[in-house]
Amino acid sequence: MPENENPHFLFFSSLLGKKVVGADGRELGRLADLVIATGEPYPPVESLVFKARKESFQLPWSAVEEMNGTVRLKPDVQPEPPPAAPVSDRIRLTEEILDRQIVDVEGAKLVRVNDLHFLVLKGALRVAHVDVGFRGLVRRLGWERVVDGAISLFRPGASYLKTESFLSWKLVQPIDSAPGRVRIEVAQRVLATLHPADLAEIMEELDRHQREVLFGRLDVETAAEALEQTSPELVTALLETVPPEKAADILEEMAPDQAADALSELPREQQQELLQAMEKPEAEEVEELLEYPARSAGGLMTPDLVELRPEATVAEALAEIRRRADELPFIYEVFVVDTGGVLKGICTLKDLVVGDPATSLGRIMREAPATVAADAGLKEVARAATKYNLLSVPVVDADGALRGMVTVDDILAEVVDAR
Amino acid sequence: MPAEVEAAAVRPRRSIWRNVALFLAVVGPGIITANVDNDAGGITTYTLAGAQYGNKLLWTLIPITVALIVVQEMSARMGVMTGKGLADLIRENFGVKVTFWIMVALLVADVGNTVAEFSGAAASVGIFGVPTWVSVPLTAVAVWLLVLKGTYRQVEKVFLVACAFYVAYPISSFLAHPDWGVVLRETVTPTFELNSGYVAMLIGVVGTTIAPWMQFYLQSAVVEKGIKPEHYAHSRLDVVVGCVITDVVAFFIIAACAGTIWKAGIKVETADQAALALGPLAGHHASWLFAFGLFNASFFAATILPLATSYYVCEAFGWESGIDKKWGQAKEFYTLYTAIVALGAAVVLIPKLPLLKIMLVSQVVNGVLLPFILVFMLLLVNDPKIMGKHRNGPWFNAIAWTTTVVMIALTAWLVVVGVRDLVAG
Repeated sequence: MPENENPHFLFFSSLLGKKVVGADGRELGRLADLVIATGEPYPPVESLVFKARKESFQLPWSAVEEMNGTVRLKPDVQPEPPPAAPVSDRIRLTEEILDRQIVDVEGAKLVRVNDLHFLVLKGALRVAHVDVGFRGLVRRLGWERVVDGAISLFRPGASYLKTESFLSWKLVQPIDSAPGRVRIEVAQRVLATLHPADLAEIMEELDRHQREVLFGRLDVETAAEALEQTSPELVTALLETVPPEKAADILEEMAPDQAADALSELPREQQQELLQAMEKPEAEEVEELLEYPARSAGGLMTPDLVELRPEATVAEALAEIRRRADELPFIYEVFVVDTGGVLKGICTLKDLVVGDPATSLGRIMREAPATVAADAGLKEVARAATKYNLLSVPVVDADGALRGMVTVDDILAEVVDAR
Repeated sequence: MPAEVEAAAVRPRRSIWRNVALFLAVVGPGIITANVDNDAGGITTYTLAGAQYGNKLLWTLIPITVALIVVQEMSARMGVMTGKGLADLIRENFGVKVTFWIMVALLVADVGNTVAEFSGAAASVGIFGVPTWVSVPLTAVAVWLLVLKGTYRQVEKVFLVACAFYVAYPISSFLAHPDWGVVLRETVTPTFELNSGYVAMLIGVVGTTIAPWMQFYLQSAVVEKGIKPEHYAHSRLDVVVGCVITDVVAFFIIAACAGTIWKAGIKVETADQAALALGPLAGHHASWLFAFGLFNASFFAATILPLATSYYVCEAFGWESGIDKKWGQAKEFYTLYTAIVALGAAVVLIPKLPLLKIMLVSQVVNGVLLPFILVFMLLLVNDPKIMGKHRNGPWFNAIAWTTTVVMIALTAWLVVVGVRDLVAG
C-alpha cells in the first residue's frame, strides 16, 4: 500500500468481495476476510484472505501494492492456505466479528456488528469503529445510495443521515473469537470497567458457549462480583466451566450466602470438591450456610457482620468497622453479644457516629427490635424488616446466640424473584 | 444437611423419578409450540377437511406427525447444542441479505397469520352474539396487556392453561358420537383422490401443520429455557409429545366434523359455521365447546405469534428485545410487537375486506418461505463447525431430506394454486 496517501476512513463492506489481482493484472480471487492482530487499541490488519472458487488463500497485508477498485498485489507473492485452526491473538473479521454479537462496554449491552470502519494511515489499515446502526445494515444490503437519496429527498434533516452508530473498537469486546494471552489481558481490563450488574445481565443474554468464553476471561474478583448478581442456576452452570481451582477462588471472593446458594445447586461430590479447594475459614462459613434451605433466614443470612462485647467502646467499634471495611459489603449496625455469643442489643451506625468515643456499647445499645430463627421463612424475615424498618435482621438460634444477619438487599431480590 | 436432601443425593442417578423430574424441568417449549400450531388457521383447515372430505384425510396425520417431529427435533437439537436461535444462526452463517429477505417474508406471513387469529377470535365469540367491533379491539388490548404488563411467570401460567383447554376438542368429538371403528380404520388406510379440491385440502393440512415460524419459535424457546446438552433426551421427548398432541387434536377435530357435518351433508366454509352446524347434530354443548376451543386457540396464537416474530426480527438485526426491557431500551422490539398486533386487529375490522384472500396470501408466503428454512436448517444442522458430533446421522438425514423434498413439492403446488386463485380473483 502506498504510504503517501492522505489518512481516510473506509468500510469493511466496501472491501469485501473486491477483486484481488496479481501484479500482472490477472484475477486471483475475491477478498473474503481480513485478519487483525489484537493488543493495540486500534489493531492493524495483518493479513488478507481471498477466495478463488471454493478455496481460500492467505497473504500478509504487506503484499498489497495498492487498493482502488481492485486489490492489486506486489509481484512475486506466494498465497498460502490459511491456518486450519484459529491462531491465538489473531481475529478473523468476517468469521468472528461481522454479523456476530459483541459486548458494547460503554452502553453495557449486547449488539450485533453490521459493518466495520477502518482508518487508512501510512499504508496500514486499522480497525477504528464497529458499526452497529441501521445505516450499516442498509449499507450491507447495498441500498445505501437509494435509501440515503430517498430520505434526503423527504426529510433532509433526518437524524439517520447525520448520526452514525459507531462504537470505538477500544470499547467493544468480541466473544466469538480465538483466545490468546494478549486478548485475555485486554478483555479483563475492558470488562472490569462494566458494572457487575450489567455484566451479569449481559451474561444472561449470551448463549451458553459465548457465556463460558466471556466468563473465562474475567478475573476472579470481577467474576465473583458479576456472579453475585446472577441467578444461582447460572452461577452453578458457569462454575462448572472453569477449573475447580479458579471456581474455588471465585467462591471465596463471593459473599458467603451467595456462594452457598450457588454450591447448593451442585451435586454433592462436586460441592465437597469445591469446598475442599477453598480456604478453610471461607469454606466453613459456606458449609454452615449450606445446611439451611435456600429461601429460609438461614439460607439468606450472611455470617459477615461486626460482633462486639458490651464493654467495647464506641471508638473501638468504629476502629473495628474500619479494619474490616473491605470484607464487609454492608454495615448498618454492630451487634453486641455476651461471652456466650447471645445477642444483647444493637448499635446503629448513627449511634456510633454521634456517640461519645469513650462510652461503652453496653450503655448506648438498644434492644434488637426483632430477631428470627434460622428456619424462619422468607415471608417472616421480610415482615420483620418491614414492620421495624430494619436494614438487617439478626438471625439467632434457640439459645439466643447470634448466627448471622439477613440484609434487606437479599430480601428484596428474593421477593422480586418470587413474584 | 437435612435427611431428605441426603437421601436424594445417594439415590441411584438413573432412577425413574430423576428422569421424571428432569423431564418436567425441560418440558414446555415443544408442547407450547405444538399447541400454538393448532391456531385459528389450523382449526379451520382440519374442520373443513372433516366437513368436506369426511375421514378421507385422516391417514395423512400419521406421515405429517413424522415429518413434524423430524423438523421440530432438528430445531430443538440446534437450540440445545448451540444455545443460539435460528435467526441468529442464519445471520451468522448466511449473511445479511439472506437474513433480511427471510425476515421480510416471515413478517408478512406472520402478520397474515395474526389477522387469521383475530378473525378466528371474532368468529368464535360471534356465535355467542358478540359483534366484531367489540370483540376484536378487546382481544387486541387483552393480548397486548397480557404480554407487556404481565410478568413472565404469569404469562407462562396463562399459556399452560390455554394448552389444557385444547381438551375441548376431544370432548366435543366424543359428544358428536362418530363411529370410532370406522374412524380408526380410515386413519390407517391411505386413500388418494386425484381431484384438485382433495389435493388442495391435503396440502392445506400439511401446510398448516408445518409452518416456518414454528422452527424459529421452538429453537428460541429451547434456548431461552437454557436446556443443557446432557438433558437433551428429555427435551426431545417434549418435542415428540408436543407433535403427537398437535395431531391428536387435529384427529379429533376431523373425526368430529366427519361424523356429523359431512355425514349430514351440510356445506360449511369456516370454523364458526362448523361450530354452529354441530349444534343440532351433536348437541349445544359440543357446539359451544367447539367455539370455545376456537377462541382459546385464536387468542393463544394471537399472543405468541406477534411476540415471537418481534423476537426473531430483533435477534437477526441485533436490536435489544425482551419484555423485561423498558420502551426506551428496546424501541424496535416494542414498536414491532405493537404494530403487528394493531395491524392484525385493524385488518379484521375493515368492512368488506377480502379476509379469505389475505389468509391465502399469508399461506402462499408461508409456502414460499418453508423450503428455504428447511434447506437452511439442514445445512446448519449438518455443519460440523456448528453442531460438532450432534449432526444428523445418515438415516436421519435421509428422512429429513425426503421430508424436505416432499414439503417443497407440496408447497410449490400450494403456491401455484394460491397465486392462480389470487389472480383469478
